[in-house]
Amino acid sequence: MSHQNPQQGQTAAEQTPLDKLTRRQLQELEQKKMTPFQKFLEAVIMVLPLVCGLVSVLEYILIPDNSTNRHPQTYLVFLILLICAYFLCLVYAGIRMAQKQKTFYEKLRYRAPLCSALFLLLAYYDYLTLKTGILTQPFVPCLNFVINAFWQDRMMILDCTLHTLKLLFLGYFAGVSLGLVTGITCGYSPRCRYWIDPIIKFLGPIPTSTWIPIMMVVATSLFGGAVFIIALGSWFAVTVASMTGISNVDKDYLEAARTLGANSRQLVFRVAIPHAMPNIFSGLTQAMSSSCTAIMIAEMLGVKSGLGWYMNWSKSWASYDSMFAALFVICIIFTVVTKSLEAVKRRVLRWQIGVKA
Amino acid sequence: MEKTVLKLDNVSKSFAKIETDDVTHALSSVTTTMESGEFISMVGPSGCGKSTILRLVAGLIQPTTGSITLNGKPIEGPGPDRGMMFQKATLFPWLTVYDNIAFSLKMQGKLKGNEDRVEEMIKTIGLQDFREDYPGQLSGGMAQRVALVRSLINEPPVLLLDEPLGALDAFTRMNMQDEILRIWQKKQQLAIMVTHDVDEAIYMGTRVLVMDSHPGRIVSDLKIEQPYPRDRSSQEFVEYRNEILKQLHFAGTKEK
Ligand SMILES: Nc1ncnc2c1ncn2[C@@H]1O[C@H](COP(=O)(O)OP(=O)(O)OP(=O)(O)O)[C@@H](O)[C@H]1O
Ligand SMILES: [Mg+2]
Repeated sequence: MSHQNPQQGQTAAEQTPLDKLTRRQLQELEQKKMTPFQKFLEAVIMVLPLVCGLVSVLEYILIPDNSTNRHPQTYLVFLILLICAYFLCLVYAGIRMAQKQKTFYEKLRYRAPLCSALFLLLAYYDYLTLKTGILTQPFVPCLNFVINAFWQDRMMILDCTLHTLKLLFLGYFAGVSLGLVTGITCGYSPRCRYWIDPIIKFLGPIPTSTWIPIMMVVATSLFGGAVFIIALGSWFAVTVASMTGISNVDKDYLEAARTLGANSRQLVFRVAIPHAMPNIFSGLTQAMSSSCTAIMIAEMLGVKSGLGWYMNWSKSWASYDSMFAALFVICIIFTVVTKSLEAVKRRVLRWQIGVKA
Repeated sequence: MEKTVLKLDNVSKSFAKIETDDVTHALSSVTTTMESGEFISMVGPSGCGKSTILRLVAGLIQPTTGSITLNGKPIEGPGPDRGMMFQKATLFPWLTVYDNIAFSLKMQGKLKGNEDRVEEMIKTIGLQDFREDYPGQLSGGMAQRVALVRSLINEPPVLLLDEPLGALDAFTRMNMQDEILRIWQKKQQLAIMVTHDVDEAIYMGTRVLVMDSHPGRIVSDLKIEQPYPRDRSSQEFVEYRNEILKQLHFAGTKEK
């Protein structure tokens, strides 16, 4: 390979001697060459989101409304912002491509079909709500109403969001840290397991929401009670997962560590816990989803603040637009939280990549 | 370095079976003495208790009857004075090659100032380019080499090697044999190595223990009186081999 003359049409990867390949170039080399038709298809897929965006804009402007639409420009601005964002990404990907950095392009290429689908979905939703009323207004409001409602009530929503986040993180981290302590101790010491196991067996199967009525009667502050309920759910998930992980540590690793001079503390922290990390992380993920459920139930039933309460409150005032606005905010929060957890997990467990299971 | 003496006195070890009420008699009345400066090779059919002897010496299991003493003191548990390389490579999958090798130094708080020793070990096994890789990305033979130096880096007075070179190709294997001998000669430790390869046992050992099963026992204890490095094709070498093969009931087999 290296003694070939660099020819025209060769990529950078092909001109590099094999022993100087980078990881990217290796992938490039091992990929199959694209036919012209495939290249054309590729280009169409990349541009398709712009076309679909245009479709959704035209749909919004051209088709006459079925019900009165106040501040009609908001949704339009929103759409155009989305389209511009995609366009900027496309330009950036092009620039990176010119610098022979394909990573960003590939990420964008991977998501491009989804972006197209999103624009089409927006157009279709708008058609169903605002334009035809097939989905009855105002119970299922069109996006323009929702965005307007969000903007009008933004201070209140922000306040509620902060409250929800505070509750979520307080409960989650309290539960998770306690859960790690109990799970790891019980996983490692059979005596602790003897005493704690019955508690877990007894409390574990009870769904978290069961506690809410009790909390409303017993707890002196609803906030504290809600924290307690969220913490209880995450405590349970993390305890069970880390206990399983620790007690299933491969005996061979412990023996090897012992002959290498590890003391019992080091056996726990240097062998058992790293080995149980995959389990612990699945516990953390599960705890997060249980916390998200618990917090919504708590806010809808008792706590007098937060997004869950806001949704309920908007419903009682028949302002369905605000209700949907809060729903979207909740979606975004939970997505961000879950994604961040995923990212941490990928970082910590990177040794698992390529391990033969 | 002071002299280490390892004594096995009438050691028997039996294991309870899980399904039935029987017990497996893995070792029966093993008596032998080993000293620093010796390189003991152990050969014998599969299941005759070779690994069990190493695990007893390492302190991972306790003998059913009899006693094992190191310098007069009974062995009560594992310790950094006895480095063990396991038959199954047990590299920690969450640590890089470097961190795996440095593990025992780190556990004893001795890594600071000894980083060059880790580097030297990595160089010995020729894995400089894989220092930051995780064990999941290594080949079987590479993993075995890492496991080998991981147990040697501490320079323990007793080396326990359970088929250390089993997964290597013939050439790497011969190189690593010399490498192990070099490390052992430098410090004159007591090395006990299990192997399935009779030639390797003779090439490396100052003594060869031949074992047999049902129940596991030492059937012969052969001193190899030849200076290093040994010539695999010399007359004496062939005689030792024939002797050991006879003990292993392969006497009738024609040599190719
Ligand atoms: N932990 C254990 N529990 C039950 N039986 C065991 C255990 N360890 C070893 N044995 C039994 O002891 C006997 C000797 O085992 P050992 O591992 O020492 O054999 P070996 O000589 O190392 O064999 P190989 O060459 O195949 O590694 C075998 O019959 C085995 O089944
Ligand atoms: Mg064995």
